[in-house]
Amino acid sequence: MKKLFKAAALCCAVTLSACSSRKTNSVTPPDGRLDKCSLRFSWWGSDDRHKATLDAIGLWNKKHPDITITPEYGGWDGWTEKVSAQMRSGTEPDIMQINYDWLISMSENGSRFYDLDSLDSFLDLSGYDDEILSFGRIDGRLSALTVSVSGRSLFYNSEVFGSLGAEYPKTWTELTALGKSFGVEGLYPLDLDIQSGGTAWYLAVVYVQQKTGKEFITHDGKLGFTVDDISDALKFYKSLEDSHVIRTVRARTDEDGNAALYQSSEFIDGRVAGVLEWGSAVGKYESVLPEGVLEAGPLLADESGNTGGWLIKPTLLYAVSGNTKYPDEAAAFIDFLVNDEECAELLGTTRGIPASKKAASALEKSGKLSGLAKECSDILAAADTVTISPYMELPRMKDFYNTAIESVSYGTADADTAARQMYGSITDYLEKIRK
Amino acid sequence: MNTRKYRNPVGVSKYTGLALISPFIIGAVLFIVYPFICSFVVGLTDSGSFVGFENFREMLSSKDFGQAAGVTLKYALILVPLKLIVSLLVALLLNIELKHIGIFRTAFYIPSILGANLAVIIMWQYLFTADGLVNQLLEAVGLSPVSWYGEPNAAIFIIVLLRLWEFGSTMVIFLAALRDIPREFYDAAKVDGCGRVRAFFAVTLPQIKNVIFVNLILQTIAAMQEFNAPYMLTGGGPMGKTRTIGMLIYEEMFTFGSEGMANAVSWVLFVIIAAVVALMYKLTGKARRDA
Repeated sequence: MKKLFKAAALCCAVTLSACSSRKTNSVTPPDGRLDKCSLRFSWWGSDDRHKATLDAIGLWNKKHPDITITPEYGGWDGWTEKVSAQMRSGTEPDIMQINYDWLISMSENGSRFYDLDSLDSFLDLSGYDDEILSFGRIDGRLSALTVSVSGRSLFYNSEVFGSLGAEYPKTWTELTALGKSFGVEGLYPLDLDIQSGGTAWYLAVVYVQQKTGKEFITHDGKLGFTVDDISDALKFYKSLEDSHVIRTVRARTDEDGNAALYQSSEFIDGRVAGVLEWGSAVGKYESVLPEGVLEAGPLLADESGNTGGWLIKPTLLYAVSGNTKYPDEAAAFIDFLVNDEECAELLGTTRGIPASKKAASALEKSGKLSGLAKECSDILAAADTVTISPYMELPRMKDFYNTAIESVSYGTADADTAARQMYGSITDYLEKIRK
Repeated sequence: MNTRKYRNPVGVSKYTGLALISPFIIGAVLFIVYPFICSFVVGLTDSGSFVGFENFREMLSSKDFGQAAGVTLKYALILVPLKLIVSLLVALLLNIELKHIGIFRTAFYIPSILGANLAVIIMWQYLFTADGLVNQLLEAVGLSPVSWYGEPNAAIFIIVLLRLWEFGSTMVIFLAALRDIPREFYDAAKVDGCGRVRAFFAVTLPQIKNVIFVNLILQTIAAMQEFNAPYMLTGGGPMGKTRTIGMLIYEEMFTFGSEGMANAVSWVLFVIIAAVVALMYKLTGKARRDA
């Protein structure tokens, strides 16, 4: 028995040491030269992004036959879980396209990603503004490089709007009024979801931020809204359902099941005629409708024309795994992705409007800086936007938002009760993770 | 007293035997025993720091775990009896001697091979959406369509129906047991004046008691570990009404990155399953011994 206990204790000790050792990496220092190797590069996205990226990898492999890039890609659903599992087991790719909140959720102090500042022999950052670079800095380390800066804006099915003689709304009041004319025809001018997109709470936050001038979550991870602000946001969301601007959660779930909006017949057939989406990801909605049918609409403002409160963030970032054996080579590949003119032309705006001035200028010269992503970028650039706190997008936070929206939509709680619960949950959670 | 030393009939030493089974033992220790112990230890940590039973305390007091446990038990209570009854009835039908009966046996087994894979899930999604085939059929016979996905109390039935459709494995075990019952038993029952129904209760059921118990245990364990179907079909919604403990473990581990909590929940699920199985053994003990 004693022997058995000793064996168990030994296993436990090994496991615990494994748990704690995951926080530190044995980082391979850069050696200043490019070696022959094979690197893994992962990203998520839709077909247009996959095709463009595979073409770019093809170009790299042609230019650098000694450094082979192996692609790993897929759709957004389940991607976070996949990368999270890889990061936990130390099997992540050498180079990764990462989401903004992963800087916190997958690398608490930034140490699990390579410090890109130390790889400047092969990664030219001169095409970046300091402010843009700062999005990827954690505790002074450049843990990731911003690919593009974008926000969600509104896109509409022009054919449906045209057939009803409706204008794209410019104010919240106009949006609400649209519910009546669309409702008569059994249509909806907009869709908001509580699934992977989580656009329901997003739009409600924009509404209250614009109204109050407050930030929902501050950059240092504190809740900026009061219980009343959260309650206002939930009431606003419910008013959209009640005025037939959006489908209720029940109706949406019934009609689409667990499928994404762009895959649902409701969107493809035009029964739902609008979507709130990132400029960098709108391609998947655009591709399921006839060419030119999806158009960008203006950002919603209050009656005085104030477009404040809309959110932007680094849409995507590139990071190098702290476990890579080839940091210089990984940096050289990222440099190719963000600075090479030919590569920029191949990638186009499939990851939004490039934050790198070199890539943006290449696209401008070739006349490829166009399309919905560019329109979205221009619309947001003209507004008084707020940068999203990475804490706002943490999965646990999204769970709190969705629970509140769902309970208000199903009527199992009123807005005030749901707001109090959400306030308590968020405050406790933020306090816990900031420790 | 004359004692005779045991001699291995095939003339090999016991070490040879141990050596022969050692790959299994090593595999079991490495891939079952070691992870089993590790998962308990990780369940006592939070972000790599030892926190004792804090995860267990937090979990047992959380609304999410309570709801998930309720959903899991409800799901098992609905699915398991239904599946046993349906598969036994189909096994009885497939036990009759008929030309080409093998084709039917194969056809009924196919859904089990498919499992909850993507194609099946997509088919299921389109069957049960608001204007899906199931609602169209209901309307065709004059019934009101059901809000399968949106109605919190209906969503679990989509998953139950999917798993019920995959009754093949249970059915095959029943079929094998049915075919083992000697023909003479039925002949004797017939002589005693038993009809088909009486013979089913007086001969068939007592003869397959232990097989029913095996299926009951296997299906209960599988139902309580359910993850795939709710994850892909409903995402745990609406309002968490289809979020099983299996889904909760996955979310804690991969969505929220809380490996300590995920392992703690796994252990509680293990204890619940062990308790349920032990209870079943206890409750059916006499009946099984009499079989």
